[in-house]
Amino acid sequence: MDIEHLRIGIDIGGTFTDLVSIDESGLICTAKTLSTPEDPSLGVMTGLELLAKKSTQSLSSLLKKTTLLIHGTTVATNLLVERKGAKLAMISTEGFRDILELREGTKANRYNLRTPFPQPLIPRPMRHTIKERVGWSGLIKESLNLAELETALKELRQHNVEGLVVCFLHSHRNPSHEIEVRKLVKELGWKVFVSLSHEVLSREGEYDRASTATVNAYVGPGLQGYLSKLERRLEKSGLNIPLLVMQSTGGVLPILEAGQLAGGSINSGPAGGAMAAGMFSAMSEIPLAVSYDMGGTSTDICLIKGSVPLERHTTEFEDVKIAVPTLDISALGAGGGSIAHLDRGGILDLGPSSAGADPGPACYGKGGLEPTLTDANLILGYISTETFLGGELSLSIEDAQNAIQERISKPLNLAPELAAIAINALASSRIAEGIRAATVRRGLDPRDFSLFAFGGASGLHAEAVINELSIPRAIIPREASVLSAIGFLSTDVRRDYHRSVGRPISDLDANELRSVFTELEAEAKNNLEAQGFDSENMKLVHSLDCRYARQVYTVNVRAYPSDFECDELNWLTAEFETTYKNLFQHIHDTEPGFIDTCNLTIFGTLPRLALPKHEIGDLDPGKAQKGERNIFISEWLSARVYWFEELSHGMRVQGPAVIDSPTTSVLISPDGVAEVDAYGSLHLYSNL
Amino acid sequence: MEQLNPLTLAVVRHKLLAVTEEVVDTMSRTCFSPLLNQSRDFSAVILDAEARVLAQAERVPIHMGAMPFAVEAMQSAFSGNLHDGDVLMANDPYYGGSHLPDVTLAMPVWFSNQICFWVALRAHQGDIGGMSAGGYSPGAREIWHEGLRIPPIAFVEKGQQREDVLRMICENTRKPDDTRGDILAQLAAVRIGAKRLQDLLQRYGEDELAKCAKGILDAGETAMRDQLARWKSGTYHGVSYLDHDGCGNTRIPISCKVQLGDDQVTVDFTDCPDQVRSFINSPIANTVASVNVAFMYLSDDQQTQNQGSSRVINVITRKGSIVDSVMPAPVTGCTTLSGSVIIESVLRAMEEPASEHVMAGFARRFRFVIAGKEDRNGNPYIWHYFSNRGGAGANKNEDGWSNLGVIHNPGGTPSPSVERTEASFPLQVEQYELRTDSGGPGKSRGGLGGTYALRYIGETPAVLNAAGEGVEVAPYGILGGYDGVTHNYSIQREGELISLGTSDNEVEILPGDLIVCHSASGGGCGNPNERDKDLIRRDVEFEYISKEVADRIYHLGE
Repeated sequence: MDIEHLRIGIDIGGTFTDLVSIDESGLICTAKTLSTPEDPSLGVMTGLELLAKKSTQSLSSLLKKTTLLIHGTTVATNLLVERKGAKLAMISTEGFRDILELREGTKANRYNLRTPFPQPLIPRPMRHTIKERVGWSGLIKESLNLAELETALKELRQHNVEGLVVCFLHSHRNPSHEIEVRKLVKELGWKVFVSLSHEVLSREGEYDRASTATVNAYVGPGLQGYLSKLERRLEKSGLNIPLLVMQSTGGVLPILEAGQLAGGSINSGPAGGAMAAGMFSAMSEIPLAVSYDMGGTSTDICLIKGSVPLERHTTEFEDVKIAVPTLDISALGAGGGSIAHLDRGGILDLGPSSAGADPGPACYGKGGLEPTLTDANLILGYISTETFLGGELSLSIEDAQNAIQERISKPLNLAPELAAIAINALASSRIAEGIRAATVRRGLDPRDFSLFAFGGASGLHAEAVINELSIPRAIIPREASVLSAIGFLSTDVRRDYHRSVGRPISDLDANELRSVFTELEAEAKNNLEAQGFDSENMKLVHSLDCRYARQVYTVNVRAYPSDFECDELNWLTAEFETTYKNLFQHIHDTEPGFIDTCNLTIFGTLPRLALPKHEIGDLDPGKAQKGERNIFISEWLSARVYWFEELSHGMRVQGPAVIDSPTTSVLISPDGVAEVDAYGSLHLYSNL
Repeated sequence: MEQLNPLTLAVVRHKLLAVTEEVVDTMSRTCFSPLLNQSRDFSAVILDAEARVLAQAERVPIHMGAMPFAVEAMQSAFSGNLHDGDVLMANDPYYGGSHLPDVTLAMPVWFSNQICFWVALRAHQGDIGGMSAGGYSPGAREIWHEGLRIPPIAFVEKGQQREDVLRMICENTRKPDDTRGDILAQLAAVRIGAKRLQDLLQRYGEDELAKCAKGILDAGETAMRDQLARWKSGTYHGVSYLDHDGCGNTRIPISCKVQLGDDQVTVDFTDCPDQVRSFINSPIANTVASVNVAFMYLSDDQQTQNQGSSRVINVITRKGSIVDSVMPAPVTGCTTLSGSVIIESVLRAMEEPASEHVMAGFARRFRFVIAGKEDRNGNPYIWHYFSNRGGAGANKNEDGWSNLGVIHNPGGTPSPSVERTEASFPLQVEQYELRTDSGGPGKSRGGLGGTYALRYIGETPAVLNAAGEGVEVAPYGILGGYDGVTHNYSIQREGELISLGTSDNEVEILPGDLIVCHSASGGGCGNPNERDKDLIRRDVEFEYISKEVADRIYHLGE
């Protein structure tokens, strides 16, 4: 088999490291290995060895043929979640030492007033202020006091600081003072990770910039260290192309920039899945899709419009705000490991607490006593004791039954299978409500969508979810288990540039606006040229964040190159009003729109991933059947069992049936029907 | 009664919550005024046929317990005269409302020729007429001074919207377009809710859903009884004070007697003083809602709260008193000012039996606005002071949060950025930092207040109007903890220091004036001598407290 021009995607998850390679002919090869949290690059190397072995070649020959290697890692996420990031210090404007600690006066979980106060990532003694002042228009009102700055830097240097955050007021208008700090740090010969707020986020709002720059510096040194270690290992093993790193935006960056903009990879894991759903939407020409990825502890939901996942401006990560664009993925606390319990009033509920991997669901037999969704699905016969996780883990029905019996059945006076079906149905209902909320919030109707279901636990709920929302079909990609890694291969290099404007549209002439974007374009193109992209492989997306002057929230208005040829800005007012009206059903026609920020996104296009399309064959799935199994729906009945891997293109499965694979199971009710499409994905149809 | 399917109950409860979320989502997407689309000062609930709250979206705590009163008043006003498609409206405190800016729209949900549910949405309108813009008038002496009263009316009859009524309401406010947009947004939102509930009725039938409603309320009651059983039965007293009554009297007590049984609690406010002439009176709906909020804060689990929980809480008041005012008493301050003090009085009474659950006093609300001629775009403006809301009270296990603010709506809306303030108004913020030594000392320390220094840099004089609390009465300490500090606002003008009172109105602000706001902190909990030495050292190192306070109050020594 010839595998020149190989592309490899690597996704390090909490439990498994997934690898996928694809050659020019579209042939996919996958590998899965346990993650190695203490040094994740070890797991990557093991996975690559495995991938090489599968294609009967040496690791170095595999890597030499590799033309693209995209890597997604939870290193940054874990540093933040476990609060194990770098030791930080901060320099800010005199009078504003506590930007981080004041948190704009907010609190998560507002009704519980006894939760501990979350100390910011930079403790107060490490936050120094300096005399300087930039005015709101960018005018320097008081120059930077260099003597004070030097004293502060020397003092902070005594404390083994690994990351320095600089956030001066209005630096998005005039960054010169922030830049001077970096200059002085260099002059002093201090090798510290520097995060300037205007570079991380060039937008109004000192808390957003300070918080985002802080997260960036907190995870930056750790991520850089890890990436350079991985790069060295890969180079030694024969890789001679630059490594690309997956970002929360669904784009990728080379490792140098990925390290500098480390905060941008915090949500990169779920982004891979959303990008894959985008790719499948494009292949099947689906205009509106919603993806849901159900794992052990949570379900990630993302909307995909015209095969592009939708985005948002800010992310609240526990008590930390990250204000850079990311794919708009919302997480719901319901997964396979979610614990079913009776609340204090005696009503059945599911999650948000989870049994995690250890002890895991009761049926893992590792000492878990709490009944989980997985236990319920096992009792119902939806999961097979033999094939779960490829048969690597033997499941105990007895332990599952005991847990459900003790905690749910007895107090509710219900037979175990009825308790189990209640837990299963509650999960489906919660996912459906989560999807409804995600669509409705955008002013969209769930009935216009197709559902992509992936992740271990999703196939058992897909049919119930589409029935509940009147969604016509659910699509379960065959590669569901390594979908994020595939998603990595359907990305482009991406960078986002912003320039704050802060003026009413009526105040600006077309030339001024044009020159803002011209500058952004030059900066963006230079960057990609340096990475070896020529202009044919660059794609630019222009947009403006607009609002009315008195408002806080902005709406994103898309702009096109031809718009900038106009001598007037009427097009912008019209576009703003149209966008605003679509979202909010009204406009304020006596008030001019207000331009907050100009945004430019540049894509360095990477070759498209094309999965092979197959001839549609025989309808009869008989060949793929592996016996029967008893399942409980409203009563016990016998269902045909099929192997996903042996269901070939065009086969049609009539319920009641279960389709098993080493990583997932799909339930088809007596009324349901499923078909395999030309790409090998399973389409489930709603019976409504 | 036939047994209810536990699955239906579990699913329906989640669905009702999802419907309330969709209702508030619709509202945020469609409303007009900044108070609503930015501050989100609105709440939605679903009630059963008897006007008992089954589900509410997590928004403004004090709206939750108050809305049943409004819906009950609507029911009795339209008894036997309601039709499918009707939507009712009211804001009148003397017809089940709280204060006039809070306008409630409620829609009965019909199925099989009977009302099965109500969907209600209460939104704080930017203006409702009356003496001063925005509705907070310390000078009001009668309810009519405070704005337009809307007793229960049919705003939509059998699906037909009353345009004449809408016009009449809007023209009685200072921002008629905003009011129109906001009310129509409310209407769209309750209609979405009603539609979703009708779908649920189609699917499960009215009998099954009625059983679910009962099940949900019973569960709320069970959870609250379970909570009460953890506390020692007995009779307990609590009192907290309002700064003044706006008519020369200071330290106005709100006191209650809490009779705590194993499965019932009675909160008796009979001893409270008579209603006063200014706007700090609380109508009954607001008082009951405040008591419910207090017990919600005291609970271990906020999620199980619904009106079933409040079934075990009896509130006794005396008509004509400050906590059960009658016509024509003005009431606009009830939600923020007296509401906070009512909550505090209950928490104070519960200090002994619920010592693990209570928190010390929080900073009160001291708001002001600056009105001037030219903002950065040359237009007249009203700037609202929304930052620096003060510290939260400590509890037995944790220090209070710094800069969290008032107990009636803690951590509500994000404060605007300094950069936005400076870019939009002729104002320059010179400092916004924590206030050292402000937190009430204790084994757990009160949250810190802050210092916010604002320089007026306009070219012509501007006007400042204040309305607030917390200058006389300090946030109280509990269980041996010390009080926090009060608000202290002043104006610095050429070396002169002018102190600013909580109801100072029409104060002239000159170019170059520096308004310095030291906000109140939270009270402490427990004896400061018992505070962990490492925490005291940390507090000194972090400059939360000075070395002097560490030695003098905490006896850190060395």
